[in-house]
Amino acid sequence: MSTILRPKTNQVVTSKAIHSSSFRDPSGYVFTDNGVIKRVINPVYFDQYKQLKSSGFFKTLFKNELLVMHKELSASDDEIIIQPENIPFITYPYEWCFNQYKEAALLTLKLQKFCLEHQFSLKDASAFNITFHNGKAIFIDTLSFDFYQENTPWRAYKQFITHFLGPLVLAHFHGSEMLKLSNNFLDGIPVKTIASLLPFKTKLNPFLYSNIHLLAKFEDKHNEDYKGEAKAAELSKKGQLNIIESLYNYIKKLELKEPSEWGEYYNKTNYTDDAFVLKSTIINQWVASLNTKTLIDVGGNDGTFVRRIAATLQHALVCDIDNNAVDFNYKQIKKNKETYITPFVLDVLNPSAAIGFNNQERQSFIERIAAFKPDVTLALAVIHHMSLSGNVPFKNSAAFFASFSKHLIIEFPERDDSWVQRLLKSKGEFESYFDFYNLDNFIASYSSYYTIVEQKNIEGSKRTLFLLKRKDEYN
Amino acid sequence: MYSLYFDPGLGAMILQAAIAAVAGIILFSKSVMYKIKLLLGLSKKEDDLFDDINVDDSETENKPGSDQ
Repeated sequence: MSTILRPKTNQVVTSKAIHSSSFRDPSGYVFTDNGVIKRVINPVYFDQYKQLKSSGFFKTLFKNELLVMHKELSASDDEIIIQPENIPFITYPYEWCFNQYKEAALLTLKLQKFCLEHQFSLKDASAFNITFHNGKAIFIDTLSFDFYQENTPWRAYKQFITHFLGPLVLAHFHGSEMLKLSNNFLDGIPVKTIASLLPFKTKLNPFLYSNIHLLAKFEDKHNEDYKGEAKAAELSKKGQLNIIESLYNYIKKLELKEPSEWGEYYNKTNYTDDAFVLKSTIINQWVASLNTKTLIDVGGNDGTFVRRIAATLQHALVCDIDNNAVDFNYKQIKKNKETYITPFVLDVLNPSAAIGFNNQERQSFIERIAAFKPDVTLALAVIHHMSLSGNVPFKNSAAFFASFSKHLIIEFPERDDSWVQRLLKSKGEFESYFDFYNLDNFIASYSSYYTIVEQKNIEGSKRTLFLLKRKDEYN
Repeated sequence: MYSLYFDPGLGAMILQAAIAAVAGIILFSKSVMYKIKLLLGLSKKEDDLFDDINVDDSETENKPGSDQ
């Protein structure tokens, strides 16, 4: 429990454990109460909240699954406390694939249009207001809605450009890696930076010229607003709706230029179809025997193995380094209306760090996955990349997996596996340094953290599957 | 009442009127083009991965099996 002095609008000394990212908006704050996330609404936001509640605004958004559900726990003159639905694993914008990013942008615009139609307006358009839950993007900042004032421009417009349009357009021209920039720019990529990175031809496109290049020029010219002149700017509601709709239409059609070849991935495996089926049968048996409800598939490609699990899972996280694979997975989730899979982009050799003020605003992957505590971790065809591409010693990767999950299903491709061979050959004269890469050393190192429950060779391949249980001293 | 905690950008606020005008022209020309294509039978079915911008605001909830 921490004691924090809130700013002027909320001068309360509270004993509540305020969430470390919840200090910007004076309308309220998020805190945890015995592990349950709750939100305090301050008197300064009472009018808005009551209007949103009584007009059915919240209800419509709940029904359409666009805003995280909440229930009101208590209401006094000093504070209203609400409890939002629990989202088991939060993903951040720099962990989204292209189409997830796109959906988050479209959701923000959709909400702003709905707001305007009901005399409200989004007061911010941060990409961190959104996460993924039940197979779709959901808005999680319940206090972002404010009253619309006639003939005022959208105050969050520039934020929308720096958080959404900019990264998406950059990804369109330069590839999905650009989406990771949001990791360095918590408050959005500066408009000037976006404009300078775009090819010249974008200046000939009226949409991109007005929304990015002209905006960058104007922002440069009017970079100081000490007199509060921004308040004087005017724009009709129809005009604002035009902006929102043209942004929506443009973003909806935006695609990546890079070819999405991931659909072909499983045609390129180096083992037989029988081995593939055998591998998934073994995984299925083990997952069922452990009564698994939650799991994470590290390096899970497009979710193929998770989809072949027969047991009913409550929640499956599937992460991969390849944005295309995650995108392919996400498209399947949308198409099949799957609700239990959360896909995200993650480089296991450099998982998302804790960032923001005090390094506490956005949690690291390790913190989030440790809190999620998956029943089982799947690590299929990953260890050779960690050990040979990343030079991570077996002991270190074992400690990594042991830090968040009790059971580990891990596949070990042996030295004569063609992919291992390829990785070893790429080491050139240092190949002998990687002599440690063999089954015996793997077992020896992993045995310091895990007990081997079962071990099976996959016939038709040079690979072995292990079911490991974390030793008690690491629990 | 705006309790704003970030700078909306003076340039961005002033410029929105011009951006809205450009957006209006784009939307208008797109809808004209769409009508022409429809007339000529050239319109393609759109990718349905994402819905349109409108939120379903109907009061009635279509619960299957509900007779109330």
